[in-house]
Amino acid sequence: MNELQLLALLPFIVLATASIVVILLIAFRQSHTVIQVVGFLMMCMVVFATWYVKDTLPQAIPPLFVVDGQGALFTGMIIFSVLAIGLFSYIYFEDREENPKEYYILLFLGTLGAAILTISQHFISLFIGLELLSVSLYALIAYLRNRNNAVEAGMKYLVLAALTSAFLLFGMALIYMETGNMEFAVIAKKITTTSPTLFIMGLGIMLVAIGFKLALVPFHLWAADVYQGAPSPVTAFIGTVSKIGVFAVLLRFAQTIQLQHYPLAISIFSAIAIASMITGNVLALRQQKLKRLLAYSSIAHFGYLLVAFMPGNSAGTEAAIFYLLAYSITLLSAFGVIILLSTGQGDAEDLSLYQGLIWKRPVVATVLSVALFSLAGIPLTAGFLAKFFVLAAGVQQHMWLPLIVLVVTSVIGLYYYLRIISTMFAAPLPTLASPKTLHPFFYISTYAALIIMTGLLTWLGVFPGIILQGIKTFLLLH
Amino acid sequence: MSLLFYISSIVAILATIMVITRHQPIHALLYLVVSFMAISMIFLSLGAPFSAVLEVIVYAGAIIVLFIFVVMMLNLDKETALQEKKWLQPKVWIGPSILALVLLIEMILLLLEPPSEKMLVTVVTPRQVALSLYGEYIIAVELGGFLLMTGIVGAAHIGKHTKRNLHRFLQNNH
Repeated sequence: MNELQLLALLPFIVLATASIVVILLIAFRQSHTVIQVVGFLMMCMVVFATWYVKDTLPQAIPPLFVVDGQGALFTGMIIFSVLAIGLFSYIYFEDREENPKEYYILLFLGTLGAAILTISQHFISLFIGLELLSVSLYALIAYLRNRNNAVEAGMKYLVLAALTSAFLLFGMALIYMETGNMEFAVIAKKITTTSPTLFIMGLGIMLVAIGFKLALVPFHLWAADVYQGAPSPVTAFIGTVSKIGVFAVLLRFAQTIQLQHYPLAISIFSAIAIASMITGNVLALRQQKLKRLLAYSSIAHFGYLLVAFMPGNSAGTEAAIFYLLAYSITLLSAFGVIILLSTGQGDAEDLSLYQGLIWKRPVVATVLSVALFSLAGIPLTAGFLAKFFVLAAGVQQHMWLPLIVLVVTSVIGLYYYLRIISTMFAAPLPTLASPKTLHPFFYISTYAALIIMTGLLTWLGVFPGIILQGIKTFLLLH
Repeated sequence: MSLLFYISSIVAILATIMVITRHQPIHALLYLVVSFMAISMIFLSLGAPFSAVLEVIVYAGAIIVLFIFVVMMLNLDKETALQEKKWLQPKVWIGPSILALVLLIEMILLLLEPPSEKMLVTVVTPRQVALSLYGEYIIAVELGGFLLMTGIVGAAHIGKHTKRNLHRFLQNNH
């Protein structure tokens, strides 16, 4: 490994160091605040490191990694999500019973796993990254280990993730049997026939693991329970960081082997996309718990995302990245609101808690409204443009069936998003004011983060040009 | 040598089914050892002696011994010792023994029989494995270290006993 290759890995080295720094801070008995602030600074350093090495990209580190513009983009999105999640975690874990310090080690290790996924170009790095992500999620989901919901969710995730890892390995073994190699680029070269049976079978079996992580139908059964049982910051982590990482590696694999040239694989993907869009939206319709509702909506949203992913052209890739960006900002601001409204007894999930919120806490309610508008895809928010780019990418390839389903299910989706907003505008129920014991600095910074994210959502929805230009420049580095 | 491969595969499947259907952890562990040895035998019959040896050293050697230590440390009473004696009937150890015996016969056959046909297998030496692990795959090994750290931190958090040293007047409130 030469200097340039090491330099290209710098952001990932800093990220790995962050978890060790947290361990050392715990060893020297530092307080939660110190760990929080140092963790935040370390994540900022990762962002600076990514920016610093930008000019040396692309850099291949054979055989496991390739650090290119696309990987840097996804890593940047992951790190920004973790910055927000880390900030929300402070006020969440301060009024919970568990000692929150180990939480940050696991959070940063999970982030490392997701970041490794974005630059993998080999089955070994794919598997290690995915396991790093899953193993830290097992503990993160069950972090509040005296609460039955959390333990149940953690157990469910553990069993299902272990099972799907076995599927992933078996799929990899089948592809290795056909091609004799595990590097994406070499696999693409070795396949010469038009319908390689073992390869398609292996791909289908690997899809079980990928579909599980992205909560696509029919591998979505864990989503609602885990979203509800996990602590809210961890749910935000599952919804953004884990899914961005897995989608990044799926995208890279599909680009390298040129998935669009295998009609059977494309029909499998479109069936999954259509099933996810319909199931997610229909299940969310009558849901009364906000966290479960967001779980079903995430199933539907990753169905939409697959529509952008299937064409395999550059417009599709740009649309997918823009979609993920818009979706993660939206989801993070929605979860920020849930965390602000939660108390030590339980998370704010019942819709009745949100009744009349706009009259009691106008700022929080506005943030949640904008987030829900963006999820529903109302114009002037990022969600609308994201969906528009997905449609445009799909139209170029004449994928009419998934596109029609996308439009129809988006209309169905409007119902349940607007239902929450109408609840917030209803007459308020009399409730007791929750006592605030923390230093106001953390509330102020959380509010500031929420307002910035809401601003970003509207800015992306009105002037997407700068961001799109940025995505295009990064994508050229490959 | 395909017959040996199939026999050891069947032994592996049988042993694994027994692992997940036993009620007592120690009985399951006995079958788990057999399952690992059967997998090692599969490697040996396919012409991969180094993987076979690693399988025995790492899984059957290190991991199972760790499991057995943990299970032993959990039961410290005299009553449980009596109960364990009751559990250790011949029907408990006879199953794993038969399966292990099958594997042993297979291995003896394999070692005694002169190589009749030229096998088209390149033998991977420990040196090659070490060179690729600490050469081109070094980052994967380091990430494996982080993976272990994740597992340890997670398990330490979930399995931690919290000590509550409250005054007896305060204990009623909790």
